[in-house]
Amino acid sequence: MKFRAKINDVGCLNHFTRVVNTITKLTKTCVLRLTMDNMYFVLSGKVANGGVSMWCELLQVNFFDEYQLEGVSTEANEICLEVAPENLSRALKTAQNAKTVKIKLTKKHCPCLTLAAELPSLSSVSRIVTHDIPVDIIPRRLWHDFKEPSVPDFDVSIYLPPLKTMKSVVDRMKNLSNYLVVEANLNGEMNLKIETDLVSVTTHFKGLGNPPWSDSASQSQDQSRDVEDMARARVDIRKLQQFLMGQQVNPNKSMCNIVDQRIIHLILLQEDMSLQYFIPAVA
Amino acid sequence: MRCVIEGNGVKVFGKAVHALSRIGDDIWLDPLQKGLALRSVNMAQSAYACFLFSPLFFQLYTPNIKREQSESIKCKVSLKSLLPLFRSVATMERNVHKCEIYIDDCDNKVMFKFNCKHGITKTHNLGYYECEALQAVFPTHLCPNILKAQPKLLSNIVMQFPFSQEEVTLSVSPIRVKLKNYHEEENDHMKCMYTEMSLHPDEFDYFQVGVASDITFCLKELRGLLSFAESHGLPMSVHFGASGKPVSFSVEDLVLEAVVVLATLVSKEWENPSQVSIPQEAPTPRYVSEACAANTFAADTSIADTAICEGPLEGEATGVAHQLSAFLTREQVPSSQGSSVFSPASHMRKCLQLHERVDFLRSEATLCDLSTESNLTATPNTSKIRSLLFGAVSSDQAECNALELPSLVSASDTEDDAGEHCGKLLRPPSNCPLPLSFSPNMVRKTVKLMGPGASFSISSISSCFTFSRPAAPAEFQEFRVAVGLEPTWNHWAQNKNTPWRGCQSNSGQHTLWTLLSRQSTYQFMFLDRGRKLMRTLGEHKKLLTVTRSRT
Repeated sequence: MKFRAKINDVGCLNHFTRVVNTITKLTKTCVLRLTMDNMYFVLSGKVANGGVSMWCELLQVNFFDEYQLEGVSTEANEICLEVAPENLSRALKTAQNAKTVKIKLTKKHCPCLTLAAELPSLSSVSRIVTHDIPVDIIPRRLWHDFKEPSVPDFDVSIYLPPLKTMKSVVDRMKNLSNYLVVEANLNGEMNLKIETDLVSVTTHFKGLGNPPWSDSASQSQDQSRDVEDMARARVDIRKLQQFLMGQQVNPNKSMCNIVDQRIIHLILLQEDMSLQYFIPAVA
Repeated sequence: MRCVIEGNGVKVFGKAVHALSRIGDDIWLDPLQKGLALRSVNMAQSAYACFLFSPLFFQLYTPNIKREQSESIKCKVSLKSLLPLFRSVATMERNVHKCEIYIDDCDNKVMFKFNCKHGITKTHNLGYYECEALQAVFPTHLCPNILKAQPKLLSNIVMQFPFSQEEVTLSVSPIRVKLKNYHEEENDHMKCMYTEMSLHPDEFDYFQVGVASDITFCLKELRGLLSFAESHGLPMSVHFGASGKPVSFSVEDLVLEAVVVLATLVSKEWENPSQVSIPQEAPTPRYVSEACAANTFAADTSIADTAICEGPLEGEATGVAHQLSAFLTREQVPSSQGSSVFSPASHMRKCLQLHERVDFLRSEATLCDLSTESNLTATPNTSKIRSLLFGAVSSDQAECNALELPSLVSASDTEDDAGEHCGKLLRPPSNCPLPLSFSPNMVRKTVKLMGPGASFSISSISSCFTFSRPAAPAEFQEFRVAVGLEPTWNHWAQNKNTPWRGCQSNSGQHTLWTLLSRQSTYQFMFLDRGRKLMRTLGEHKKLLTVTRSRT
């Protein structure tokens, strides 16, 4: 197994850092899947993290100037590592104005992802900062856990309001209740509701627009569905807040798919990166 | 002592207090002729910091008021009470015009008076403990490796490491300087991220590497001085040697000097087969696992080779002191963890020069017995041998007070079962120099080294104190004598002209080593038979403070 990649451009480096910072805010540990074309940060939904799952896909050519991968075997030409994104983000933080950053899979005291950044310095010889991030190699038999999640059979799909606005709303609501109901309809309307014994607060967003899905299944659903009918899911507010809090990327498109009473599927899209986040509904 | 600080100086003083607060819990205030020294040491005695403000820093500086003799009050103030006064340096800068510090020895209080904006005056009275001066003298001119760097460079380097990072290892070679974080091996190193930064020597203002070495020290304690240096834009000099020896970081300016001396871990790879084996594993985990707050051996002894001397450095002008410092700094034998080897012959010469005679006890017999038991081939695991050399220098002032200090040898009197020792009290001669200074630091280490069964009493011309703890007789059989010292002990024991000697009580209950000297300098060497941390260190320290009464 071999992996070497190099980032030469400061812009790409900053973008990559932002993505990693976002991932760091979402989860303490995740799986990094490396394939020839893409890099994935995967968190599989388990009871331990409340059933939340995440899938972040990066197109490697848009970030790395050099990228070499030799996977586990020729048929399965990919590498799966378990890594703590916080370490990666800490390493990248120190390399912010680096001339070049090299990432390699190495074996030191344990398998490591070594990040070597060349920093500008006062003398002719540049400074080199090396970070060895310990990783765990995930054996092939467990790879099925980390496959790309399929888009669920959603009832409503809607574009999200500006994330900053949503974040401030959710932050205020967090003080009042632990659970939040997200509901949306095909008329471009979305509500965020909390209900407690003393008070219920609803924030209405209008004119959001519904993304057209070319999938035939959902189209048929759309036709049979009343436009005003709200699909709702009650989720743990902290999970939603965690998602909103970490957002450092400015996505081109952000949308939410709701499966009534089951799950919310949040999607952030950018030209070279996509992030999907699943939050299960609670009763 | 009274001094007045004006305007910007208050901010600088406050920053110094902040930097010192990173090191220890108490600040020693030492008004000297050459300025006001603020010092602090950490609990494990592995870090020491000193800020010396020259009289030019102050608008007004009077080290001694009221006192006839040249010595001035030395006191210790708890940082918990001092730090809040200088908590917010930014607001101080805006509001405080002037700060007056006055040490009132009648009331045992230090008064801080701030003259602030709008005519407000804030007066704080802090109680202090009177104590001995604390000073570590670190021979920087003997360090083979020197680095000097701009504060920006250092802060850029240090920024690579997270704030929580305790220890870092600095490795220098003629072509590269590397700083990496340090993790104890026994921990779950699977989860630790390793960071290493490598620089070219050209980046430093001054780069001298005599000995390629790796030193590991506590970064947390240094951060205080680093931020101080950065806020003043002062370049920092780093002086160090091989691993195990202390490292000193210093900044200076026209009106102040600041230095932080940190102990370094003894490197694991080091070994010197010519001397007694000294195990490395034991000290290291101790040091790291308790994260700079532990009572650790390696860290302690590596700073122990700095001579601890009495406050007024002018006293060092005496020939004796010169000899002592020269002595201590030569013959650095790596095996003794950086402490210099005691060279009995040369010491004898020096002592004989100081023509004093003490009527000693006839302890030759017991001394010989003990020395024959010495077994130089220590079994590596069971007995951990280390030698510590430290000396005390008394400042030999021109005017000596005819002090007849009360002898505090009462403890040794009671132990006097065999009837042949230390019962003889030592009366200081009338022209004795000023009191000997013993840093509690130093004595504490010695006590630690002695092992649980040991006791010893040290008396100088001015004071005498005894530590003792009874132990099983068997333990004493294992007292080892230093390499090369054995014949000397005998020699001294027999030679009545020797200025000092040791003796052992015959009671079998405990061993009393008494080394009495009426000279102004003396040194002694102890070897421990086992590194057992003495839990009663605290008690001993109290004993020390109680029995060393100032006059």
